Amino acid sequence: MSDATIIILLSMITTGLMLGMIFSLVAVGVTIIYGSIWMPNAANGQFFLLAALLLWSASVSWGLHPALAALIIIGLSVPFSYALEILLIRRFYDVPNRNISYFVLSLGITQILAGIFSITYGIWSDQFQLPPLVGGLTMLGPFPMVNNRLAAMLIAALLLVALFTLLRYHRYGRALRAVFQNREAAALRGVDVRAVYRMSFVLGNAVVFAGGVLFACAYSFDFSIAWTMAITAFAIMIIGGPGSVLGALVIGMVFGLTQAAVSIFASPTIAAFSYLGAMLVILLFRPSGLFAR
Amino acid sequence: MNVLTSRWLPHAIFAFAAFAMPLVFSGNRYFAFIVGITLLSVLWATGMNLLYGYTGLMPLMFAGIAGISAYVTIGLSAAGWSFWLAMLVGSIAASLVGIVLGLPSLRLRGFYFTLCSLVIQSVITLAFVYFVNLTNGDVGISHIPLPELPGGGQLTGTSYELVLAALTVIGVVVLTLLVESGFGHRLIAIREDDGLAETLGINVTRQRLAAFFIASLFASIGGALYAPYVGFVSPRSFDVLVSLNIWLMVAFGGRGTIWGPVVGAVILAPLPFLLQDYYMIKDVVYGLLIIGVIVLLPAGIVGGWKRKAAAGEPAPDVAQKTAPAR
Amino acid sequence: MTLLDAKLVSMRFGGVVALSDVNVHQEAGETLGVIGPNGSGKTTLVNVITGHLTPQNGAVLFDGAPLLGRKPFQIAAAGLSRTYQSVRVFSELTTRENIATALLDAPRPLPSEGVAETAEWLGLTPRFDARAGSLTLYEQRRLEILMRLVQQPKLLMLDEPVGGLSSAEVRATINLLSELKARCTIFVIEHTMKVIRELADRVIVLVAGEKIADGPPAEILSDQRVIEKYLGSVDA
Repeated sequence: MSDATIIILLSMITTGLMLGMIFSLVAVGVTIIYGSIWMPNAANGQFFLLAALLLWSASVSWGLHPALAALIIIGLSVPFSYALEILLIRRFYDVPNRNISYFVLSLGITQILAGIFSITYGIWSDQFQLPPLVGGLTMLGPFPMVNNRLAAMLIAALLLVALFTLLRYHRYGRALRAVFQNREAAALRGVDVRAVYRMSFVLGNAVVFAGGVLFACAYSFDFSIAWTMAITAFAIMIIGGPGSVLGALVIGMVFGLTQAAVSIFASPTIAAFSYLGAMLVILLFRPSGLFAR
Repeated sequence: MNVLTSRWLPHAIFAFAAFAMPLVFSGNRYFAFIVGITLLSVLWATGMNLLYGYTGLMPLMFAGIAGISAYVTIGLSAAGWSFWLAMLVGSIAASLVGIVLGLPSLRLRGFYFTLCSLVIQSVITLAFVYFVNLTNGDVGISHIPLPELPGGGQLTGTSYELVLAALTVIGVVVLTLLVESGFGHRLIAIREDDGLAETLGINVTRQRLAAFFIASLFASIGGALYAPYVGFVSPRSFDVLVSLNIWLMVAFGGRGTIWGPVVGAVILAPLPFLLQDYYMIKDVVYGLLIIGVIVLLPAGIVGGWKRKAAAGEPAPDVAQKTAPAR
Repeated sequence: MTLLDAKLVSMRFGGVVALSDVNVHQEAGETLGVIGPNGSGKTTLVNVITGHLTPQNGAVLFDGAPLLGRKPFQIAAAGLSRTYQSVRVFSELTTRENIATALLDAPRPLPSEGVAETAEWLGLTPRFDARAGSLTLYEQRRLEILMRLVQQPKLLMLDEPVGGLSSAEVRATINLLSELKARCTIFVIEHTMKVIRELADRVIVLVAGEKIADGPPAEILSDQRVIEKYLGSVDA
């Protein structure tokens, strides 16, 4: 193999890992919310974009350090989620077939946010690019790696590990699984179902925000990322199995690597076609997903 | 039959209004165009109501079907076919596609069907963008020729709006006849409990697919007429937001009633034109409307009235002991 | 004349055996009772016969024609009707609309005088314009039966028709069903032994998916094996 091929291959793998981890993060956020509240949050892509745009404003317009700004933005997602939960989400906790009401509700939120973005950020530019978190290159043998992306990858990996540990071993994670399996039985066993709902909504959105912030650090982006991310996160959730964190992680990584490979060898449209096709097949033949228990 | 006391009185009033409005506004092309788009929206909302209101499925690929019909009709017209023949072929072809796209409803319910329809809509939109030589991709097709008239000349201006009015009135009458027929009663039974309907001998598969075919006919006739009327189509003309707007008309007006979606379309279709000066906030207004309908008006305007009216009647005596069986 | 003949029916869900080599035979006019503990496969048997489940093995003949592979609506049209263990009516529709729905695709619909007479017999006439969901459980149970009777089925399979009813309502239902025997053949799953003892001409006992007994009620209900396996645990 020539050096050029190896460089392409390496960049494909790193891009794939990076994308995969961001996909996994967002999909875990979406699946936590669906697993508990039964809310298929189609607005996740707009939340993702919101975090990315805020980070852009904070670091480019107001001159904050991106790392500090990122932490503040993820922190801000908490009151944001609480407000939404109080205003809209909790009204539907006991509605029959609430997932379809939630789905439409989240499409409404999507419209509102998309409208706000085009009013506020639409005037700026098509592409948003942030200053790097860290500068410089690291040489991996003879091959250069961009430090900024390595840092983003490291943070994403740490976040995923922390999240997975939290969900597997912490009291909240066990309560979440109990609620997902059987809401009534969990309530009978003394789990505060509504508290789990609220916690899931807040945590899920915080994770989506974290994904958006990390993405903005590593790549330039435009408005179209919102819709792409919404569809991708849904596809990952459906294929991995709604409510399955492991499914979201594994399928998210698979999607990231596929996306990286496909965008080198074919057009992104083909990648989108293949996600949608995979999602259709799973919906029709195994609606509980690949990783359902 | 006395028209004034007939159950067709609302239809007569609607038909009168539908034909009068284009004539009233014939002096002002801008207002007449709003009337034309509103009539098309009524036709689309009426078709979606058959699925969303009476069959209980939320089809987010509705606009995609309209788009397939529009592109086929444009393509065939460009190949030298008569517009009307092209529209017939395009509508039937798109409606057959609609049956195929309805197949998932045999396995999926509720949110899963809606999600599936959203995925299908996304695939259709991607296809419209991707197959550039048929659709001219994102650039879209402009200067779509107007339909020709049998006596020579073209269908244009007020006469176009009158044709739209005629088709819309036919659409509403057809939906009324359908839902009052055995077919409509079967659909309602399926909406309420498809398993029980099947146990009572109803062929659920066939009724559902028939509903998809008919609703798709509404979508595709509207799509075929939309293209020359507006003169321009692109994949955005038939994307998921269009499906969602039609859904909003049905849900806002009141699904599962004949007049709810008509009222919804008449209120919502002119909205983008009225908001034109506030173009930027259009999306926000739509989003707020969607949330408002879901939170405040789950049964829609007309549905809400019906419920109020029912509540005003003497309540059925639930506690009443029925005569013990002999 | 043989009306229903199911031979060697086996049904597995993954590794769980729900029915194994079950034979059921029913003559026209004969009331067949099915008893067995929870999870013994009674409802699964009805689901297999009415086309809701496809068994791995076996054959089902109804009125001389094979049923397996036919869809539930076709089986209903062939004159085999069933009710559900938990009551199931179109609760948003009125009683009248429920009845009209049952008449839509009935191959031999009862003429309207017959419908009115049957509704009167079941005591539902005063409730015609009430929403079915607002009816009492006992009324909904009778509406379920009425919706089947307007289709004039040859065989009516009832899945726990007195479930959830008070003892007075159970008594009244037994009287109704014994009059019903003159109108169509009845296959009844029931836990309440009184129902089986008074109505059934013959009883089969299912335990863990296997038929362990088949015979007249008096004989079966005193059979030591049946008592051990089943009746000992339930108030008889």
